[in-house]
Amino acid sequence: MTALAEYAAAPARRSILARPHVIPALLLLPCLAWIAFFFLVPLGLMCWRSFAAGGLQDYPALFSSPLYAKVMLTTVKAAILATALALLLAYPVAYVLTMSSGLRRGLILALVFIPYWVDIIVRSFSWLIMLGDHGLINKLLIDLGIVRAPLELLYNAFSVLVAMVQILLPLTIVILFGAMLRIDRTLVAAAKIHGASGWQAFRTVFFPLSLPGVYGAGLLVFVLSLGFYVTPALLGSPRQTMIAQTIMVEASDLLDWGQASAAGFVLLVITTTIAAIYNRYFSLDRLWGGSEP
Amino acid sequence: MDRSAQPAVSNGAQVRLRKLSKTYGGLAAVDGISFDVPAGAFVSLLGPSGSGKTTTLNLIAGFLTPDLGDILIDERSVADVPPHKRNIGMVFQSYSLFPHMTVADNVGFPLRMRSKLNRQAAQKRIAEMLALVQLSHLGARYPRQLSGGQQQRVAMARALVSAPRLLLMDEPLGALDKKLREQMQAEIKRIHRSVGTTVVYVTHDQSEALTMSDLVVVMHRGRVAQIGTPRALYESPADAFVADFIGDSNLLAVSIVEAGREGCVVKTRGGTAIGTLPASFATMGARAFLLIRPEDMSVQLQSTAQADGSEQLTGVITELSFHGDVFKLAVAAGDDVLKAKVAREQGGSLELGRQVVLNWRRDAARLLPPASGEAGIEAVTS
Repeated sequence: MTALAEYAAAPARRSILARPHVIPALLLLPCLAWIAFFFLVPLGLMCWRSFAAGGLQDYPALFSSPLYAKVMLTTVKAAILATALALLLAYPVAYVLTMSSGLRRGLILALVFIPYWVDIIVRSFSWLIMLGDHGLINKLLIDLGIVRAPLELLYNAFSVLVAMVQILLPLTIVILFGAMLRIDRTLVAAAKIHGASGWQAFRTVFFPLSLPGVYGAGLLVFVLSLGFYVTPALLGSPRQTMIAQTIMVEASDLLDWGQASAAGFVLLVITTTIAAIYNRYFSLDRLWGGSEP
Repeated sequence: MDRSAQPAVSNGAQVRLRKLSKTYGGLAAVDGISFDVPAGAFVSLLGPSGSGKTTTLNLIAGFLTPDLGDILIDERSVADVPPHKRNIGMVFQSYSLFPHMTVADNVGFPLRMRSKLNRQAAQKRIAEMLALVQLSHLGARYPRQLSGGQQQRVAMARALVSAPRLLLMDEPLGALDKKLREQMQAEIKRIHRSVGTTVVYVTHDQSEALTMSDLVVVMHRGRVAQIGTPRALYESPADAFVADFIGDSNLLAVSIVEAGREGCVVKTRGGTAIGTLPASFATMGARAFLLIRPEDMSVQLQSTAQADGSEQLTGVITELSFHGDVFKLAVAAGDDVLKAKVAREQGGSLELGRQVVLNWRRDAARLLPPASGEAGIEAVTS
């Protein structure tokens, strides 16, 4: 029997491994088990606990209390602002990364990643040093005679925003960079040879083609921002708490696990809904002129 | 050179390359090339991959800056002119249509960038171009909804819409299958005739270059091996590289045993002496190549009395294949293997292993130097 014929005949007497889908399933199994045990099960428990104390009794408070409405509004506002600012600051960096190569690209990537490797709590704390009444910025402003009394830079929406953006930037840059790398650069050359200046080629070709990446990064960063806890806890005002802080207080200080679970569940539903709506309006297909409705 | 086919008033630019060089990391991609592209002509840059033809095209486009030398378009140096101000149209190998724009918007792109046409005039011009490439009904589609051949046509329309005086094409048919490729070749020639713009066309396909071009620039290792009309290249190749690259050829390695004023005599590796051939470069003992095109070779079953002015070699058929109109065969004669073609109706008695006599007219054979960069220029000017 030739090698080829042997190979062709083999599956009949080979093990279960030879069946289609078996090997992919085996490869996925460890990860699936991990997610199931540490994510899906707790999620299910949280959902169950929110109803356990007596049906829906934990939910009306969420919708009737002005506290939750205010916290949710603060959270969404902070997340939108942080996302927009992160995208705005990350785009030029990602663009320069895309256009450069070799040593320069490596150097910029290193500068982007070094802060990413520093712990999130350390990074949040570092802003206390920068923004405090006797911090670097106020000291500088006073020494230069620009202001007389120190500005209130800390424990407000501003300090939270600054720190959130700083924490989100590396991730935003990397997602945008990845998306921009996929843009065919001969398209920019095609624009230039057909009369577009550098700026026009960017505006009419590169930028529109980078938008799917911008939307994708925006969604991811926004969802992440909704769940920020350490940063607003350290740098924010108690009058402007975000939803993760509220849930934490309910769970660990008030020990009202039913209420905390209900709030967590509502946050999950809101996040998923926003993601779904977002995906519908900014889906890749529409941008590429594929399945226009 | 026959330029009579060109229209009296040309819409095309004249392009001159002057001692152009471009080096990448110590390696010369283009090594001091000079040639002229006449206004309105269809000129192919032909060569194997790595011969510098695409680099040359990118230098003309302005995507690359030459290390040395200059490019003149209509007698003006474009050294300081960025690509978008060179007024060039270009068709890329992968078409490079803008995926986020409709076909009509793709075609209209150069108009929006270049000219201040009002909306109506622009619409009219786009419609004209779509009609020229026979895609009038597909203006509202997106590029990825089109077939390869249709995308190719859109790329042509976009490149020509603002009536550039120079059109660059970088292996535009490389991605298409053979039948579609031949159809598009005819289409491109039709469009070239109707718009009259100068075309510089890069290809590695010699038959494409031969059938489409007014002039072919054969490139080899960053230099120009030869420039000429397709016929001139085929009939009088400057060296063994050009002869081998263009068309089917028999190239016998020979050494020159006699060099006189009226020609020279060479000896094949098998020891057969072949007589008086004209060769300007010939010196005694030099190595050279004897070129005989397969179609110039006649095959006989028996040795006949050698006709005046003809040569012959005896050999054995080692390969035989039927191609419809002709039989193609390989004949081993001494240490050399020669290719020959025999018309279908005369090939009846051919068979493998059979001894045959190959005959050719003495003036159909050419003695060529091995590949060289410089010899090519002489052959063009002579």
